[in-house]
Amino acid sequence: MIVFLQSVLSGVLIGGVYALVGIGLTIIFGVMRVINFAHGELVMIGMYLTWIIFTGLAIDPFVSILISIPAMFAVGALIQKTLINRVLGALPENQILLTVGLGLVLSNLVMLFFTSDYRILTTSYSSSTLRLAGLSVSTPLAISFAITSAITALLYWFLLKTDTGQGIRATAQDRDAAQLMGINVKRMSLLAFGIGAALAGTAGALISPTYYIFPQVGGVFTLKAFVIVVLGGMGSVLGATLGGVIIGVTESLAAVYISAGMKELFVYVLFLIVLLFRPAGLLGRSRV
Amino acid sequence: MAIRVNDLPRALTRSRRSTLFSFAAVAAVALVLLLVPRAVQSPYLLHVMILFFLAVSMGESWNVIGGYTGQYSLGHAAYFGTGAYTTLMLLQYRHIAPWWGAWAAVGAALVVALVIGSICFRLRGPYFTLASIAVAEIIRLIALNWKPVTNGAEGILLMDIPPLKIGGMLVTDWLSKAPFYYIGLVLALVTLLVNYLVGRSKLGYCFQAIREDQDAAHSLGINPAFYKNVALAISAVFTALTGAFYGLYIGFIDPHTVLGIDLSVEMVLICIIGGIGTNLGPVVGALVLVPLSEALRANLLARLLFSAGLLDETSRAGAFLKENLAHAHVLIYGILVVLVILFMPDGVLGFAKKLLARRSPGRVPSPSPGAVLGGPDANP
Repeated sequence: MIVFLQSVLSGVLIGGVYALVGIGLTIIFGVMRVINFAHGELVMIGMYLTWIIFTGLAIDPFVSILISIPAMFAVGALIQKTLINRVLGALPENQILLTVGLGLVLSNLVMLFFTSDYRILTTSYSSSTLRLAGLSVSTPLAISFAITSAITALLYWFLLKTDTGQGIRATAQDRDAAQLMGINVKRMSLLAFGIGAALAGTAGALISPTYYIFPQVGGVFTLKAFVIVVLGGMGSVLGATLGGVIIGVTESLAAVYISAGMKELFVYVLFLIVLLFRPAGLLGRSRV
Repeated sequence: MAIRVNDLPRALTRSRRSTLFSFAAVAAVALVLLLVPRAVQSPYLLHVMILFFLAVSMGESWNVIGGYTGQYSLGHAAYFGTGAYTTLMLLQYRHIAPWWGAWAAVGAALVVALVIGSICFRLRGPYFTLASIAVAEIIRLIALNWKPVTNGAEGILLMDIPPLKIGGMLVTDWLSKAPFYYIGLVLALVTLLVNYLVGRSKLGYCFQAIREDQDAAHSLGINPAFYKNVALAISAVFTALTGAFYGLYIGFIDPHTVLGIDLSVEMVLICIIGGIGTNLGPVVGALVLVPLSEALRANLLARLLFSAGLLDETSRAGAFLKENLAHAHVLIYGILVVLVILFMPDGVLGFAKKLLARRSPGRVPSPSPGAVLGGPDANP
């Protein structure tokens, strides 16, 4: 029982970080109807950024998000401005290929400059644990979950209460209608991609003390982000939050009860099952 | 998606003269290629040619499902890897000669294709693409974790291929590159022929109708699920044969190289660079990609920069490029994809056609299928 609760708890904690990746992807998809196949590579860039800041400036990874959030926002906005904006009206297949190509460029650029060596970011608390009601929790995971929750809450407030947030949601609901209502759709797209990239980068920063850092790490996150987003419903922020936690728990349980090497297999099987039986996701409207 | 119905018949028919001409051209090129191993002694050149044939076969095979049927599979490594693993495992562990093992590989790929097809073809567009990636990843993870059968991440290192004898006469002992060259050439020509037939047959018209508008095709009595599965089966069979050939030629396979997503992307890339849904598109794509990646491997690009005086070999940047550019072919692939999608979405062939049309305004070329698909650039 303790083992079960323990693995559910660590699944929820890691799921919070996955949720951030998923929310970023779902906002981008919602506003632009573009599936960003380079999303995991943005997570990877966030990880490397944190690693550089940590090794170069000796700034704690959890503090470094104050630098990496604006930096990643700029990266996202740049990608939207120079690449995505040009294919908004193109075939969905071409959009997919463009982002696939972008992902290849990003991961191989990083490989060119940092080689494909695995990096580890070791902080003083990397392997320490907290005791919580009889269960032990990894300290970095607990901190990252707290930060994740705060960022998610802030994001909800931004999307629900501010004018800009409502503009983004209106654009996601109906691009043309939003434009007719006087919303600057182009600016909203720029913001959406920026926010999506910033969230992915933050997730990368938060996960870096507990994860290997290498150029190809993005692929795993891209696929996971898709699973999360499809599970929750394409375009639904609440769904992506829920989806992230579900995937985290599934992985954690599969790793404990079946085999650590097979945990991703279960994630993909879950993905296919959801695609087949509930393609609109848990909280989404059907778009298939 | 803008579909210009009027263009369809023009896209599907072509004058008989040009067909004859292209047949003659292909036959002439094939004849020349047949003679190459007799004239060329350099094993490296033969190796590059074999890589070229591999790329053509991969691209043409993907083209059947991705180009003609419009289902962008990003999981074709699943069939490639199935073909390679089946053939090599049968050869290595059961001592079954590859020319029999290849049939088993075809059978295995058909089974995989039918299972994947029955699952993934319920989904459309990007959802299909996502599902195809997920299935390929599942197969890769199985190959990685099922150590007693697949030898896991270590992969399979092929010891030797038994000599091929017909009626007691030795045909080849596989020691030189020439037999591989001929097999590669035949494979490339067969896949090219398959694409030609798919482009001109009733079956192929059904594929193309589904690509242009699945609902309209359905209302005309074309069963989309059935035809998509047929297209996938054809594509999977030839991808698996290519995979088997790759495994035998290179002599080493592991889950990452023959089942990884990079390989799936490469297949799409070959097509998109040349021109998706055209007969010769994958050939053009392979003509661009194979020499490029070989040039990078041989560090020609860095040497070119040095000899042009743009960079000093001894400078820090020069040393860096010299060290690393050889491994950067995937980076160049990525840059190429981005550039092609942004600036020539119909591929090199489509781009060339457009240029020709601009040169001679009197002649109206038949639009490439990519143009009929109707991206924003396709509209006049």
